[in-house]
Amino acid sequence: MQDRFLSYALLIPAFVIVLATTIYPLAYSFITSFREWDLTRQRRPGDFLGFDNYVHAIAEAGFQNSLWVTIIFVITSVVLTLVLAMSLALLLRRKGPLHTFTRIILILPFAMSPALIGVSYRFMFNPEFGVLAVGLGAIFPSLKGTPWLADPDLAMAILVATDVWHWTPYMTFMCLGGLASIPRETEEAARIDGASGFRIIWEIVLPQMKGVLLVTAILKTIFALKMFDQVVTLTGGGPGTSTETLAYFVFNVGFKWYDMGYASALAWILTLIMMLISAWYVRMLLSDNIKETA
Amino acid sequence: MKIYSSLIALSAVLFASSALAWEATPGKPYEGQTVHALIVKSSQFEAHEARMAAFEDATGIDVVVDYVPFPNMKEALTAEMVGGAGDYDVVSIMDGWVSSLKNLIDPIDEGIAAQGTDLSDFPTAHLRHGYIDGKLHGLPVRGHVQLLFYRKDILDQAGVTPPSTWTEVVEAGKAVQASSELAGIALPYGKLNGQNLQVWINLLWGHGGDLFDKDGNPVFNSEAGVDATQQFIDLLLEHKIVPVGAAAYVEQDAVNSFKQGNSAMLPLWWWVRSQLTDPEESKVTDEQLGVMALPSVAGSERTTFTNTWIFGVTEGSRNRDAAIEYLGWLTDPAIERDVLLDENLKETVAVHFSNLRDPEVNARWGGIHQAAADALATAPGMSFDANWPRISEILENAISSLASGESDDVSAVLDAAAKQISGIR
Repeated sequence: MQDRFLSYALLIPAFVIVLATTIYPLAYSFITSFREWDLTRQRRPGDFLGFDNYVHAIAEAGFQNSLWVTIIFVITSVVLTLVLAMSLALLLRRKGPLHTFTRIILILPFAMSPALIGVSYRFMFNPEFGVLAVGLGAIFPSLKGTPWLADPDLAMAILVATDVWHWTPYMTFMCLGGLASIPRETEEAARIDGASGFRIIWEIVLPQMKGVLLVTAILKTIFALKMFDQVVTLTGGGPGTSTETLAYFVFNVGFKWYDMGYASALAWILTLIMMLISAWYVRMLLSDNIKETA
Repeated sequence: MKIYSSLIALSAVLFASSALAWEATPGKPYEGQTVHALIVKSSQFEAHEARMAAFEDATGIDVVVDYVPFPNMKEALTAEMVGGAGDYDVVSIMDGWVSSLKNLIDPIDEGIAAQGTDLSDFPTAHLRHGYIDGKLHGLPVRGHVQLLFYRKDILDQAGVTPPSTWTEVVEAGKAVQASSELAGIALPYGKLNGQNLQVWINLLWGHGGDLFDKDGNPVFNSEAGVDATQQFIDLLLEHKIVPVGAAAYVEQDAVNSFKQGNSAMLPLWWWVRSQLTDPEESKVTDEQLGVMALPSVAGSERTTFTNTWIFGVTEGSRNRDAAIEYLGWLTDPAIERDVLLDENLKETVAVHFSNLRDPEVNARWGGIHQAAADALATAPGMSFDANWPRISEILENAISSLASGESDDVSAVLDAAAKQISGIR
């Protein structure tokens, strides 16, 4: 009995910290999302508006645009990151000094701050003196002087590229971990039977990697949905509103426009989207496990 | 002409001497109190802090200053307003934020009157931002006007004189590009804190337009607004006299382009003057740099957009009187003049007419203060209501969208922006 009491007592500090830093802010923002709270007019939350903030969001062009931008960003960024990460993992799964060295080097992009990545790429794509802009112009003369970040499609492509560059190393390590757990005997047997490398990967490796890839996809999707830092420092959401992601839009509404009630509603819509996608992924993962167990 | 100049100089000296000098409240009534100030990071304010000992000796008040970089300043002020803990007694607020942060600061009319501060020494365009609902809530300490910086050597080489109208800017820009590798004029069309609106607004005024009518309805989509916007976008897309990446440039990109010797002209705030010829970061020398008032639209008066930082006393301040005493000292023209004439500093920013027209100040800075005073004498400035951050965002999106070629129908884009602004809840 005493041991049980002690166990609960020891949990209290952690519970208090989680309550204060996670549960309370979440609950507060949820309640705020149903209230009027324009900081320019009132210091404290005002009247309850029911679902007005949510209804306003659905009808507002700014929200619709940022949702569409986010969907494009998430799909391209997640697919590209997973394909690249899996490909790199397959290349790096062999053992040897070169592979070990490459794995160490590979972690560097992930160690960089996303805001710094945005600033760096902004400089690198400056058509006047950016190393990438000038370099690409030298290799492909038709690209010389291209205003990379001034074109809506190119700006989105660069935003996706910076995110893929940032996250691919981490996802590669996750895939490497997954590959290490696959018994090599199956592959060896297939190879002896004359299966091509592509067929081995497609029919033997990838099916066994499904669980790892799903977890990787969940994480990457959540990170992509929260895309904010690089938008601020690389494109500022522009040109126009062509790279204004949902997270950036929420920030603008809350901390530039000071409409805290509406910003809370938008943040909860973003949270809801993340929860639904995560639930869908987890369902796929569980159904796969159930099939395997059966 | 000479007599006229002498009269101006004499009146400036008389005006300067008539400005009241700050004096500490007798008897040091606030001795032992500590004033905490939340101030945006700036070398001008650091220069004030270096002179703080005199104030602390005279009043017995300690002043503790926390500097916050500009990108984080608004969040810091918001946290202070929402928290309401009274951590700070004095705060610096940029003009466009004042309305939305009005709950942070309290009226200071009576306290400042007791300090003997001469409000008529502040240009209207700056001082108006200190007023909320007709009451004085803050005093301007830092204020900017727009000037045209240009490369004398490059314009000479191109055989053109510094342009005084935007039509001449196009001619000069084309001549520069025909005779050198430089772009004509560095302008920011990208998105960041409404920076792509600052030249555009001058064109709007120059064409006889405005952002809003007297009832607050958007009118920037009028014929004058469409003409002004088309002229602004034409510099980029039609005349192509701006750097190749200007459609995504923010203010600092334009400054870098000029400093790296890639552009011949730069219309910008005067605070940038000191860094344009700093040998550690710029290829431009003092001999190459020319400065003049911002070009106007042909046939109309000169205009300038202004930027102002006011200092106010927080609602939650526990040392309100000491904070007002500090504001009285901080806004003493003598402090500003001392900084302007300090040979060890390169501070050009001034918000007092007495200093802007001071012959010694103008002698040191090549007359840019007199040019600023002339512009400010007639510049009414612009009020920003609480929705300005949202309005500014909508407008900068519209300009950015046109500049990027995402849309080419100026009238339709401005109409859409006006509709969006009218629909703000």
